[in-house]
Amino acid sequence: MPMRNLHTEILVIGGGVTGVGVAWDAALRGFDVILVERRDLAHGTSGRFHGLLHSGGRYVVKDPVSARECIHENRILRHTHAPCIEDTGGFFVVTPEDAQSDYPDRFVQACAQTGVPCEEIPPAQALREEPRLNPAISRVFRVPDASIDGFQLVHLTAQAAREAGARIFTYHSVQDLVLTQDGGGPRVVAARVHDTVGDETLLIHADLIINAAGAWSGRIAGMAGCQVEIVPGKGIMMATAHRLVNTVINRCKWPSDGDILVPAHTVSIIGTTDTPVADPEDLRIEAWEVAKMMEEGEKLIPGFRHARILRAWAGVRPLYKAKEAASDRDISRQFALLNHRTRDGVAGLITITGGKLTTFRLMAEKTVDLAAQELGPRRACATASTPVAPSQKDLYWLGHRLREVEDHHLQHELICECELVTRGMLEQAVRNNPTVTLDDLRRDVRLGMGPCQGGFCTYRAVGVIHELQTGEGLVPDTENAPWQVDRLTSPGQTPSSPTSFPRQAHTTSPLYNPNLLLRDFLQERWKGVIPILWGQQLKQEQLDRLIYLTLLNADHLPDPHLKSPLTDFYHATASLATPSSDPD
Amino acid sequence: MPSDLLIIGAGLAGLMAGIHAAQQGLRPRIIATGFGATHWTAGTIDVLGYLPGDPEPVHHPFQAVPQLLAQRPQHPYGLVGVPALRRALQHFQELTTTLGLPYGGGRNPHTNFLLPSPLGAPRPTFLAPVAQRAGDMTREEPYLIVGFRGMRDFYPTLMAENLTRQGHEARAIFLPLDLITPQQDNTPLHLARALDREAVAMRLAQALKSHIQPGERVGLPAILGLERHQQVWGLMQEILAAPIFEIPTLPPSVPGIRLTRALRRHLERDLQVPVDLGMTVMDFHAQAARVQWVRTRASARPLKHRAQAFLLATGGFLGGGFTSDTRGRAWETVFHLPLTIPQDRGQWFRPDFLAAEGHPIFRGGLRADAEMRPVDTTGRVVYENVRLAGDLFTDSDPLAERSLEGVALATAWVAVHGLKFA
Ligand SMILES: Cc1cc2nc3c(=O)[nH]c(=O)nc-3n(C[C@H](O)[C@H](O)[C@H](O)COP(=O)(O)OP(=O)(O)OC[C@H]3O[C@@H](n4cnc5c(N)ncnc54)[C@H](O)[C@@H]3O)c2cc1C
Repeated sequence: MPMRNLHTEILVIGGGVTGVGVAWDAALRGFDVILVERRDLAHGTSGRFHGLLHSGGRYVVKDPVSARECIHENRILRHTHAPCIEDTGGFFVVTPEDAQSDYPDRFVQACAQTGVPCEEIPPAQALREEPRLNPAISRVFRVPDASIDGFQLVHLTAQAAREAGARIFTYHSVQDLVLTQDGGGPRVVAARVHDTVGDETLLIHADLIINAAGAWSGRIAGMAGCQVEIVPGKGIMMATAHRLVNTVINRCKWPSDGDILVPAHTVSIIGTTDTPVADPEDLRIEAWEVAKMMEEGEKLIPGFRHARILRAWAGVRPLYKAKEAASDRDISRQFALLNHRTRDGVAGLITITGGKLTTFRLMAEKTVDLAAQELGPRRACATASTPVAPSQKDLYWLGHRLREVEDHHLQHELICECELVTRGMLEQAVRNNPTVTLDDLRRDVRLGMGPCQGGFCTYRAVGVIHELQTGEGLVPDTENAPWQVDRLTSPGQTPSSPTSFPRQAHTTSPLYNPNLLLRDFLQERWKGVIPILWGQQLKQEQLDRLIYLTLLNADHLPDPHLKSPLTDFYHATASLATPSSDPD
Repeated sequence: MPSDLLIIGAGLAGLMAGIHAAQQGLRPRIIATGFGATHWTAGTIDVLGYLPGDPEPVHHPFQAVPQLLAQRPQHPYGLVGVPALRRALQHFQELTTTLGLPYGGGRNPHTNFLLPSPLGAPRPTFLAPVAQRAGDMTREEPYLIVGFRGMRDFYPTLMAENLTRQGHEARAIFLPLDLITPQQDNTPLHLARALDREAVAMRLAQALKSHIQPGERVGLPAILGLERHQQVWGLMQEILAAPIFEIPTLPPSVPGIRLTRALRRHLERDLQVPVDLGMTVMDFHAQAARVQWVRTRASARPLKHRAQAFLLATGGFLGGGFTSDTRGRAWETVFHLPLTIPQDRGQWFRPDFLAAEGHPIFRGGLRADAEMRPVDTTGRVVYENVRLAGDLFTDSDPLAERSLEGVALATAWVAVHGLKFA
């Protein structure tokens, strides 16, 4: 089969926050950019993180460089990415267990040194603001932490990158890098990329390839013969069925497991852990990790142990092990920016890895600065002063979506009642964002993320998609341009620039089979509830089984063997630590 | 006045137990937190649709019971025996006919038949409300599946496509929802209530008429009336001169609610059996292996209920009859009867949601003797005057087996008919 060839100046590998940040920055500076992501945008760590826009408070004692970077970026992102950020503020609280330590005093001092704003408030005041907090806390410090939506962050940044001219291909996996020997030595000149939906291999030629594959970046570098040692560090998080707090709550102690509770939309998220794993795909959750979260949560919020938990998930940190002195080292110790030309003698390849979601813009800036050194200067970095959604200047607030839905009845019936997803949003998302699995739609519109975990909306969403496919959609296609789902704006708020970039919809693919979509999403939701099924949520699961087994008979649908690019992934990651073998 | 039999649970098992007890001349009373799973199901009577691990539907449920017992020796069908199961089913069919909500089976009265699910998958069931019967997938007539634009709980093109993929002739059409109601975001229950009005039902029938081709059978979501269902369905058949069948929808399930209402009305009006909801048992008292009373939490104050015998029909994990905690402990909520479940939480679930053999936790439950008395692991009766009915038994997973209603009817029948009072 003849291979399709594409040409670009910069090829970015990885559609997490780092990759889309690099694509956005580079496109704004005038580079010709292609980004490839093996699955959906934010399918990696950027869609499995804790949701905290760090003030830097967590790092002031342990890692002041990080702390400075965080507060710097925190201030910038509130302007550039306002609609993804909820200004919850944050508390650092001293629980009885930590009362004897000198950490709180060191914390105050370190905040002053790193420039992280910190105000001590009386515990009584903190308890008035957050009545569920442990009443035995002895000291409370207020910092400018915030809650940030990683899905929206990645989507908005990607959208801004597209509008600046970048081309973004999801479900395109880099299989191999192509090297040539020019005068000075080896040079990476192209990537062989597999389109997993169209089942086609393309060759993307680039003057420079930027490896932003997160925990997988060691593998990408290895394709060019460069050794980049990444130790994937797995962390788990759990969402409660209610928003237990409206402020980010941190334990004021040396950072450790299960010591942060972040309000996110209608839930709160407790996390996290840090366990080295051999494979970044190993996202299984261990029973002890779940127990640990419940136990630690109890110290912050008495009664947490009895809270209804909706779901547990894991993400992997890309922990970079620096090669002794050999590299031209990272700009900061906090992320690794590697120029493989100077480090390994392999030209045409840069790796950017590590860091935090909070500092992605800074990482992208430094990366594209280096790219500009390699490729020749362009316009200066503009990301710090360019809002990604110019029409949406306000920060997110909790009632945002309800207001949108109530104000604009054009959006048709509610498909997901838990998360207030209307049929209009769903249809627009499917038309505008590549949707290979319903999980992709979840990242776009939060489908299935509420208490029933897809019980009602999975069937409905499959029905809606099928109707779209057969030309029975309810929202006329022409409404698309002024109403972009990933911005969650409504018809009343027309964004300034109409969408002009080509859509990458997959609705004609043979994989686009309603029965497959349904089975995949049921399995995807299942893997995240297994670790936390007890009490109310176990009962909920029985209702979901009643719906999908006895009512819909979804286990006896046509095409049972059809697979999507993610079917195996959903099955592999779905088990408790103890392999679930049948006792009888 | 204390009742003879206090029934805890108002699902199909509890309500039927109340009817049997009253028909036996006892004075039963039903208390429950709320209505059971019948409000969520298809409203059919599923007896045994699949054997564990076997993807093929069961054709002859009674003949398949020995195979089931070979894999699940303590299954309630083994405790009650096939004859009692059949008697209970026959009684149910006679009862619902006299209540004006008749049920019927497929063309062969001894076998399952296949009704299309809202996804178009074949549901093996034994008895269905007569308004669902024309969906029978062993019949040849082409399907016309009718949906409503703006109804979020039913997708006709998807159903028709899956029927087509399985070799049936099927097509879908949409009608405007404002034929039925001007409102948005309706549940199936709202729509069924609206169709109780004859003018609305007429309007729907008139609008549908021109779409039907000769020889077609017409499937509609199960919204054809709530209180006047039988008349609405009759009217549609008459005007449209075609077989009309209902397709169950996402919960709340109108066919299940119709059944619950018919049974409750029969209990309260015809049999003078009180059915009190909003009562959750908090604790109980037993003496010499006999339960003396249970105490309920109610809005005003706790109440003590004494009875000669108690029938537990609280419906397992789904009904709230069992619960569990973070540490993987699970227990029966009313009498703290010993639950047989995998001890290690790591063994509760299989990695595949749709695994044909089901998840071990969901076939955990209580052990009972042939009179439906709870027994412990040694086979000793725990409480002499307690009986079990419905989805409570170990070695059975009624949702996976598609036996939820069969188990409820058979165990309620046996539990009550074996009661002897001094
Ligand atoms: C448990 C946990 C909690 C965290 N909490 C926070 C927090 O609260 N606040 C914060 O600021 N930071 C947090 N972080 C850190 C932050 O989430 C990460 O630093 C950030 O998301 C990394 O983004 P990335 O784009 O580098 O990696 P990723 O998001 O993982 O993106 C890499 C992408 O590369 C793709 N890819 C891999 N191989 C290929 C291939 N061959 N071809 C094409 N594409 C490929 C992957 O599919 C993936 O989408 C947390 C991290 C963890 C693990």
